Amino acid sequence: MKAAERAPEACAFRCGGKQLSYAELDAASDRLSRFLVKQGVVRGDRIGVFMPRCVETVVAVYGILKAGAIFVPIDPNLSAGSVATLVNDCEIKVLLTQPPRARVLSRLVELETTLECLIGTPEDFETPSSIKSFQWHACESESTGLPDVGVINPGDPAYIMYSSGSTGTPKGITHTHYSGLSYSRLSIETYNVSSDDVIANHSPISFDMSTFGYFTSMLAGATTVLVPEAHTKFPASLARLIEKERITIWYSVPLALVQLMLRTELPSFDMSSIRWVKYGGEPFAPRHLCALMKLWPHARFSNVYGPAEVNQCTYYHIPPSYADGGDEPVPIGRVWNESAGLVINDSDEVLLNGKPGELVISSPTMMQGYWARPDRNANAFFEYASEGVSRTYYRTGDLVQRRDDGNLMFLGRKDRQVKIRGYRIELDEVERALSGLPEIEEAGVFCVSTDDEKQIHSAVIPEEGALITAEEIKSRLLSVLSPYAVPTVIQVVDQLPRTVSGKIDRTTLTKETEQAIG
Amino acid sequence: MNVPPRNLTTTLLEFIKNDLAADKDISDLRPDDDLLEGSIVDSLGIMRLITFIEKEFGFAVPSEDVVIENFLTVSAIVEYLTPKLAESNND
Repeated sequence: MKAAERAPEACAFRCGGKQLSYAELDAASDRLSRFLVKQGVVRGDRIGVFMPRCVETVVAVYGILKAGAIFVPIDPNLSAGSVATLVNDCEIKVLLTQPPRARVLSRLVELETTLECLIGTPEDFETPSSIKSFQWHACESESTGLPDVGVINPGDPAYIMYSSGSTGTPKGITHTHYSGLSYSRLSIETYNVSSDDVIANHSPISFDMSTFGYFTSMLAGATTVLVPEAHTKFPASLARLIEKERITIWYSVPLALVQLMLRTELPSFDMSSIRWVKYGGEPFAPRHLCALMKLWPHARFSNVYGPAEVNQCTYYHIPPSYADGGDEPVPIGRVWNESAGLVINDSDEVLLNGKPGELVISSPTMMQGYWARPDRNANAFFEYASEGVSRTYYRTGDLVQRRDDGNLMFLGRKDRQVKIRGYRIELDEVERALSGLPEIEEAGVFCVSTDDEKQIHSAVIPEEGALITAEEIKSRLLSVLSPYAVPTVIQVVDQLPRTVSGKIDRTTLTKETEQAIG
Repeated sequence: MNVPPRNLTTTLLEFIKNDLAADKDISDLRPDDDLLEGSIVDSLGIMRLITFIEKEFGFAVPSEDVVIENFLTVSAIVEYLTPKLAESNND
């Protein structure tokens, strides 16, 4: 909250017509923290944030931290049952929410959970006697100033982010004040963030990409515009918002940008304020990326890489010349400051000379571990000593290869490497080959297990107006892939299932196909 | 096709309740309920809703009209569509 002292009147956050100056945010989060302490919250308690993108969510985040507690963002679109799973996993007693969630909340309070208190419910909201319920304005009568919760240490947990759930049971990725602050510091350095910047936060708070908009921006004294959920569903409205807010730094998954290009008259909007476009989460199809770079020549473009467990760990600033060239995949780049990366093989031996292997990362932005999962934590890390100094590395599960120029190339997920009839196949490589065809807009490739064999399947969305059959796609693939890597089944579809963060949901694709095959 | 506004409202409500958000238990959905913030319709849902409108009423929704104010509630969709359908009917 140093920025609140430097420029108290500067706007910290804006969202859908509401805004909070640094001073207002400081005062409102003080009040909330005092109210939480009054409700019996003590240091280290986990508090759920089941809220949409709105300025109150920012008050919730900083109010919880000031109370010495740990905030747990929960995707506001989850069902009552899924919310209950997260609540019980880290034993949340207090949940902060907003009135539009009432439908789900009424079901949630009927379930068996550790909940004792809801803050932000509508007037007359009914709860069982074991759960207290308050409206949001209940905390407004508290005074300002920090509550007395003792000294908060850098190593204390600050937030728990649950993995998006595309792979089995969600795991609580636990970050500390130190790892969160390190991320803010390093991202300010990497992207020259200053108090003149207006950052667009497109990600839901339950997704690690939101830490740039919620944390980095605060440390830099910049303004963050929280993109309301409605705008993420309407590219034309989103384009208008970027223009009107004079956004200087954009950060999202590629999908949001691709939709802006395909579903709006993008050249008709004045986007001259954008100085940096950062994308992450998954690869950007090179031809869409080139088209956008040509459309916005005044902006720098960067690929951001890092699993939520380390937040971010590599960066790649794309040279402007890429716009004219390329169909080459974009590197994930180099490991950023104060961090180290190694490429290892299945026997945990460090590989040199550009051999492909798993990337392991040691960075001050690294998580403390998974919440209450000693089994997982035992396998998540890798110890390695170099020049007498031992460091702890996180195993990313991502396969990479170091190019001659030192940049890392992403090859695929380790668990997306399958063996079929003795051949080793990278599903991500097949996916890249498919989406590289000019008639294909997007493709999901997945492995389906039937009773007696494994098969590669794929679902593809054709470019608008493109006429191409599955057979034609297969014959085109044969010119770029080995025959055994060409999918057995190619479905041409209108839409692909997606995870909360906008990535293609390959787990759902696999499950649905396996069920259909029986 | 000439669809009176009341039928338009009913047709859209039925489609959203029984098809688009069939898993959401929203049998009490009203024309003025916010479809976007209450997470009733997601981004894929918007695309399906537009496809439905185009098939059902034979009117192609131009991309510049696919904005929040035209799709916030069922009433908003009806207000947007009514003059458009009348226009395409007179062509």
